[in-house]
Amino acid sequence: MTKLLEVEGLSKNFGGLQVSSDITMTLNAGDRCALIGPNGAGKTTFVNLVTGVIPPSAGTIRLDGRDITRLSAAERVRLGLIRSFQVARLFKSMTVREHLELAVLQRDRRTFRLFASVAKVAGLADEVAGLLDGMGLTPVAHTAVGSLAYGQQRLLEIALALAMKPKVLILDEPAAGVPHSESQRILDAIDRLPKDLAVLMIEHDMDLVFRFASSIVVLAQGRLLCSGTAKEIVADPRVREVYLGSRADAH
Amino acid sequence: MTSVAARDGKAGQMTRPAPLGRRRDLGWIGIPLVAVAGLAAYWLLPDDLALLTRIAASALFVLSLDLVLGYGGIATLGQAAMFGTGAYAAGIVAVNWNSDPFVMLAAGGLAGGLIALVTGALILHARGLTLLMLTIAVGQIVQEVANKARDWTGGSDGLSGIDPAPVLGLFRFDMFGRTSYLFALAVLVVGLVVARRIVRSPFGLACRGVKEDPLRISAIGGSPKSYLVALYGVAGVFAGVAGALTAVTSGIVGLDSAGFPWSAEALVMLVLGGTGRLYGAVIGTAAFMGIHHVLAASDPFHWMGFIGLFLIGIVLFLPGGIASGLERLGGLFRGKEDRA
Repeated sequence: MTKLLEVEGLSKNFGGLQVSSDITMTLNAGDRCALIGPNGAGKTTFVNLVTGVIPPSAGTIRLDGRDITRLSAAERVRLGLIRSFQVARLFKSMTVREHLELAVLQRDRRTFRLFASVAKVAGLADEVAGLLDGMGLTPVAHTAVGSLAYGQQRLLEIALALAMKPKVLILDEPAAGVPHSESQRILDAIDRLPKDLAVLMIEHDMDLVFRFASSIVVLAQGRLLCSGTAKEIVADPRVREVYLGSRADAH
Repeated sequence: MTSVAARDGKAGQMTRPAPLGRRRDLGWIGIPLVAVAGLAAYWLLPDDLALLTRIAASALFVLSLDLVLGYGGIATLGQAAMFGTGAYAAGIVAVNWNSDPFVMLAAGGLAGGLIALVTGALILHARGLTLLMLTIAVGQIVQEVANKARDWTGGSDGLSGIDPAPVLGLFRFDMFGRTSYLFALAVLVVGLVVARRIVRSPFGLACRGVKEDPLRISAIGGSPKSYLVALYGVAGVFAGVAGALTAVTSGIVGLDSAGFPWSAEALVMLVLGGTGRLYGAVIGTAAFMGIHHVLAASDPFHWMGFIGLFLIGIVLFLPGGIASGLERLGGLFRGKEDRA
């Protein structure tokens, strides 16, 4: 199996505060991995380190065999490491369609065409139509994103990520803030992601995790606590202690 | 691939009725309308051709500001740096080498674009107030360079003796200003066509994205700064051509063409007309300079006060500028069109 994402000994400290220490994990093509952990476990920091939002203090990250530890966030995106945001982060006044057009044009480095018409770029309309259809967004293609329902914004986030033809896709709580009645559609969308994609999902909702993930990685206090299949994780007493224990505190 | 909507048949649940999208331009109508209105003014106001010519050239300048501000979100009070550079470049070329009006426009556009690219690359990492200060500083530097380079620019006396050759070798710049006006109007209309093409291009789409959320642009693999610098350069070409057009039609270039008041006035005209629409720049310029002209003749001491009141009224009651008011009016007559 192809190793798409290899993280080795990844650490980050802000001054004396160690927020991530010595995290090692691998994602293969086709993996569906869930990253879980109690609040403050360092999940978001880990995602920010992997995607290049903040530089690591130590460790290496390789994407498809290539060392990307020192690359900028945008460079990592161009190599196929794509994330969706926890809170839908979209261009409010642009239409759904324009989002996807922009993502596809950006991926193909065709955004510096000053005198071409977006409507006439070869192949663009078909590809965008396919993406819209794939997420059931065709009926709202011409709607400004600011006036979309939240669930649809989340679907657009996923469509946007797919438009960039990712190798590794990081979904940061894809169903957060979406009413339960609507989260089903997001799950369906995740189920239908291309099979050769490596997907890492950060999620709190354990139903979602068990349904989606073939493997689970547990973070606690910035460290990798354990990893394994869903069954192994449920049976692991350390997970119960750290994860369920802290959840009990929260209530 | 089956669409989710088709599969679970619950599309309606997530679909809120979409409000009418905010219209960004009047489609293809805006530009012919400018041309027709411009020609109508030529017949109706034959005694005011000098004013109309200034309006046309200034509108092109304000259009360049709309490109950076309305489509890139770059806050600037130094757009006149590019205008002044273009005007001086055109004037210097005309006085020393070649006074063909198209050569002058080309020289102005080139100079304006170059200065915008160079200064843009230096200052566009900044945003907001810092950027505003830096753009003002660039304008001051350009003005001071023009002031010191007396041998080329005439310094504070201005650069005079610009005598443009007939357009295409056929149409002389007559003393009544007919050629000047029609030439300026034609350049403005071409400028609008080109600008419209650019804002609807992939590049224009990316710039709108940068305006809304630069970090999200990085997250899809783009570099916000390179878009902004390119846009600043493109707008610099427009401003430079506008400056050159002023040199062609007025025959003189002064230090005030690169000055801070001219940058600020352009901003007022753009806000008055409406940003992010292109033709809002034309409307704002015509309104501002037209009102100025009428009021300054009838009440030379208080005209600025009236302009101020007018601006306050617009900002309070039509925050999108005069153009947004026209769009609302237009929206009453049609309502089902998809998008421009």
